[in-house]
Amino acid sequence: MSGLPGPREPGPLVLRGRSFPPGRLLVMAIVNRTPDSFYRPGLTWDEGAALERVHQVVAEGADILDVGGVPAKPGAEVTALEEMRRVVPFIAAIRAAYPDLVISADTWRHEVGRAACEAGADLLNDTWGGWDPELTEVAAGFGAGLVCSHAGGLPPRTRPFRVSYPDVVADVLDRVLGLADRAVRAGVDPAGIIIDPAHDFGKNSWHSLEITRRLDELTATGWPVLLSASRKDFVGEALGAGIDDRLSGTLAVTALGAWLGARIFRAHDVAQTRQALDMVAAVRGDLLPARTVRGLA
Amino acid sequence: MIVRAAVCPSPPLLARQLTGQADVFPELRAACAAAVPALLAAAPDVLVVVGAGSATATWDPDDRLDPSAYAPALGTAGKPGLPLALGLGAMLLDAAGHAGPRVLQAVAEQAPGEECLRLGASLADLAPRVGLLAMGDGSARRSTAAPGHLDPRAAPFDASVERALRDGDIAALASLEPGLARDLLATGRAAWQVLAGAMSAPHTPVGQVLYADAPLGVGYLVVVLGVPER
Repeated sequence: MSGLPGPREPGPLVLRGRSFPPGRLLVMAIVNRTPDSFYRPGLTWDEGAALERVHQVVAEGADILDVGGVPAKPGAEVTALEEMRRVVPFIAAIRAAYPDLVISADTWRHEVGRAACEAGADLLNDTWGGWDPELTEVAAGFGAGLVCSHAGGLPPRTRPFRVSYPDVVADVLDRVLGLADRAVRAGVDPAGIIIDPAHDFGKNSWHSLEITRRLDELTATGWPVLLSASRKDFVGEALGAGIDDRLSGTLAVTALGAWLGARIFRAHDVAQTRQALDMVAAVRGDLLPARTVRGLA
Repeated sequence: MIVRAAVCPSPPLLARQLTGQADVFPELRAACAAAVPALLAAAPDVLVVVGAGSATATWDPDDRLDPSAYAPALGTAGKPGLPLALGLGAMLLDAAGHAGPRVLQAVAEQAPGEECLRLGASLADLAPRVGLLAMGDGSARRSTAAPGHLDPRAAPFDASVERALRDGDIAALASLEPGLARDLLATGRAAWQVLAGAMSAPHTPVGQVLYADAPLGVGYLVVVLGVPER
């Protein structure tokens, strides 16, 4: 971490003019334009079904939509052109339907990021940890936000193979702060920079549990932290739970992450995540209870 | 003497900040918000708030409710230990813009009827024109969901109080049975009997009932009692 700037003062997250104060917990709803993502593959492959999901998650309280066209796991090649075909017209359609909604493009490719921003994306979710450095310039050029992630240096769409770290949290901090620093130098608005330890990416489940437990070390940097744990393998391995049985574990990690200061939560299950986060906010005193009469009659 | 009196309930939920985002029972708040100005319209020299406390005592007129006892997240404000009924009465007076003299009088919740009547008589003598705001509640055993669960005697008890206030039947208030009130968790009994003692004037007051219901199983009454003036 040598040479990196010290903690910054937490401030509002600003994504192309839309501002979210530090106490506000944001749900980033996953909308995959893929036939083969790990959870409910093909659910929103059809454009009509995808738009239907958008309407649903907006109604359920999503603050950000995260649109992806390539699964994280290895598989059949998806070219940049094909990725654009999957996500760009769809982002344009969401933007037309919801002029004020924050739209994130889940991509590591700068060509796709550029086309996505032209279609209305406000945030580039670079899950593969800066694999394509030009993506940063795209974010700067469009005034878009940027997620700076840790993928352990793995190429996109690869699985961790016997990865080890002397200290995984130190490695995460080193990587994401380095990327954030580079983004600021490239002209990305610091108010739009988010850091993400990227659970499961370049990590075994022990590593993901460790970064969950020590998430406060990331939030202490002052950068807004994105927690992306929804139904991931580390939840499944911790609980011995199959893909369809990981919601409780996901919500537990969500609540812990919120308590430790994370601000954005990437989720498949939007309504449940919103409710879990509202509960944390109520406990913390950031959200008034909806209606209190028990013992007060 | 008493020139006008009002009866309002004293649940914590009457304080808007204690119910979270929701404005619960706005019609109850509206009734209280109407009763207090009606009381002030009689131009009293002094406004006496009476409500149950752990002991009979006079509190500082500047004391206010400390909501943190009910909702720690709201932070400490006002006077710790001020009886709830007095804090809510002060709140209602503030909301109505009353800046004149006020007395915050607690009456021991278990005070015998005679003691309440005597206290009321002495309060009536505080000034030529005294306004009285009696803060107190009916039974907390009005339904199975009520804090004290259902007691079949609760509804008739509350109805008898409502009838007495509406008809200005001071004798009926004066004869309320403290033991029964205690069994029924009717915390307003002592304050109502102070009111009875204060109003034992030559004229029969006329009550206007603005609210009488038990939406959460606790009897809430809002009544304005006018005294015909010569």
